Amino acid sequence: MSVGVPRIAAIEHPFGLTLGLPGDAARQLAVLRAALRALEEVSQPGTVVHLPFEWNPSEKLNIYPPEPPPIARFLRRHPWYVPKFLSRTPPEVPEETGP
Amino acid sequence: MAKTVDSYRFLDGIPKLTMKHWATLGAPRQIPWTPLAKPISQCTVSVVSSAAVALKTDRPFDQEIERRDPWFSDPSFRVLPGKTATDDARIYHLHINTSFARQDLNCVMPVERLSQLEALGEIGRSAPSHYSYMGYTVRPEALLRDTVARIIGQLRQEQVDAVVLVPV
Repeated sequence: MSVGVPRIAAIEHPFGLTLGLPGDAARQLAVLRAALRALEEVSQPGTVVHLPFEWNPSEKLNIYPPEPPPIARFLRRHPWYVPKFLSRTPPEVPEETGP
Repeated sequence: MAKTVDSYRFLDGIPKLTMKHWATLGAPRQIPWTPLAKPISQCTVSVVSSAAVALKTDRPFDQEIERRDPWFSDPSFRVLPGKTATDDARIYHLHINTSFARQDLNCVMPVERLSQLEALGEIGRSAPSHYSYMGYTVRPEALLRDTVARIIGQLRQEQVDAVVLVPV
């Protein structure tokens, strides 16, 4: 299933930190403002506006969840399902695919 | 030189390969387009976050659905009022470190920042309702058919002009 997005404001922030770090209200506000500006400025469907924000690589953050997501554990135990995951064609019978 | 965002910078290994491959799937098709009807300074704006945020007083997202069937997740959604504070909410997404958003909900659901923009007169107003759903599934049919339709219904009812979709 493909999805076309009318307007994208792309940002190079880590997962779980889309707007910025906790407590960094200035960055969060600037990102939100820039996204809304993109909404006003974009006039062609499918346009990607690359937001100029830089992520400081000295911020050593653990962006991973406390335990691996269920699909990661499942694919580790059932590697023959990796092609189905890559092609986004999940197995028909969910009962047989638990982790 | 203008920055080019590297969407894969924070991924490695199999997840990186998977995301790059997923981006190539599906035939190109026409992208829907609705022009913005008025300046953003007059718009009612809502936030939709894929972080699976719910009020502590609301029904939790059912994480067991995804633990039983890792190709799927709870396809429902929750409504959060504009006044939602970090301490009012819980985050249920299983693919991110939720500790950042537990310290400051605005990392993934910037409702306080939106209220700030309203106070500054940069948007018309923050909508009465904001929304969240679980942003992982390989079976999106129920999410797209039921949840998205219901969210759009409520957005229309509340005469929302613009929505900020926040992926995590």
